[in-house]
Amino acid sequence: MDIEKAGSRREEEEPIVQRPKLDKGKGKAHVFAPPMNYNRIMDKHKQEKMSPAGWKRGVAIFDFVLRLIAAITAMAAAAKMATTEETLPFFTQFLQFQADYTDLPTMSSFVIVNSIVGGYLTLSLPFSIVCILRPLAVPPRLFLILCDTVMMGLTLMAASASAAIVYLAHNGNSSSNWLPVCQQFGDFCQGTSGAVVASFIAATLLMFLVILSAFALKRTT
Amino acid sequence: MKNESTFIDVPAESSSAMKGKAPLIGVARDHTTSGSGGYNRGLAIFDFLLRLAAIVAALAAAATMGTSDETLPFFTQFLQFEASYDDLPTFQFFVIAMALVGGYLVLSLPISVVTILRPLATAPRLLLLVLDTGVLALNTAAASSAAAISYLAHSGNQNTNWLPICQQFGDFCQKSSGAVVSAFVSVVFFTILVVISGVALKRH
Repeated sequence: MDIEKAGSRREEEEPIVQRPKLDKGKGKAHVFAPPMNYNRIMDKHKQEKMSPAGWKRGVAIFDFVLRLIAAITAMAAAAKMATTEETLPFFTQFLQFQADYTDLPTMSSFVIVNSIVGGYLTLSLPFSIVCILRPLAVPPRLFLILCDTVMMGLTLMAASASAAIVYLAHNGNSSSNWLPVCQQFGDFCQGTSGAVVASFIAATLLMFLVILSAFALKRTT
Repeated sequence: MKNESTFIDVPAESSSAMKGKAPLIGVARDHTTSGSGGYNRGLAIFDFLLRLAAIVAALAAAATMGTSDETLPFFTQFLQFEASYDDLPTFQFFVIAMALVGGYLVLSLPISVVTILRPLATAPRLLLLVLDTGVLALNTAAASSAAAISYLAHSGNQNTNWLPICQQFGDFCQKSSGAVVSAFVSVVFFTILVVISGVALKRH
């Protein structure tokens, strides 16, 4: 009789221990389910709001337009400098007063560099179109930002060097006994000044292109 | 007895299944984060070192040009032959611009440190790229204009009757040329900095 009573007590205790485990298991399952659904809903919501492809396509289109304007500006600068020459109305048999861009090495390099930059910008238009068609592609964007940076440097070098010479042509320098030449060749100096301004505009546009490319490269999570 | 064994088995299976899922998710996330973070951190460290090198080049350019005056040994009571950087407006612009470039680079070091500590953050990286592009433009403008004047001082120009002055002021011209070279070194470093920032920004 005592042995039977002890067995019944043990049987009663075991079910009590097992039931809490079942409850714990069910509790965990409930905790896991909602976060997954929540994440999926939020992902869809973010995609609808941000639409990274659409935003980057807009940036790519703006990039294309800026690139076209920069190409035109750079070529205009080169053409303006190359076609700026002036011959004074009086001359003698042995001496002719004429000013041309080839008289100054800095102006010659200006024409060459701006022609190169204009050519590069024209050739880079197809790459810009690729960025419009495939907004999320990285390699063409990286290629553009690299070349744009180098071309911006080149354009600024040509523009700044020519600006220094044009400034000297206008004002001269008493310390070094360099006389101004713009008092005689007024049209020539105006033409060169216009070309230098156009080149600086092209350089500024290239700077914006570099920054635009950086924004387009930015990681979207 | 059979009923008791059934109760014991069920929670064990469900608990092991749940435990199996969680570790997989955690491991995957850790792997992704550490991989890209390491790559970007390397770029950020390289960025910091290049920035230090550019500081040296920019400040050296400004200091060399600023201290490049020369006085010829002969002079009269009313006329003194002296050449200094402030005789030429372009060289004045050069000294000021290169000093600004050096100052900007020093101030940008903390931002570069932030990109090292937080390799995946895009805001400081983007800020650095925009500012670097602007300062690169200033640096290039100063270096090129000074190079044009320096070339003119060496060679002169027959068409405009501008005579070379380096035959008399040899030391002055050597120092100004050295400053221009140092400025162009800084331009190269800046170009690499901009490209590195672009590469670090790309999506992965």
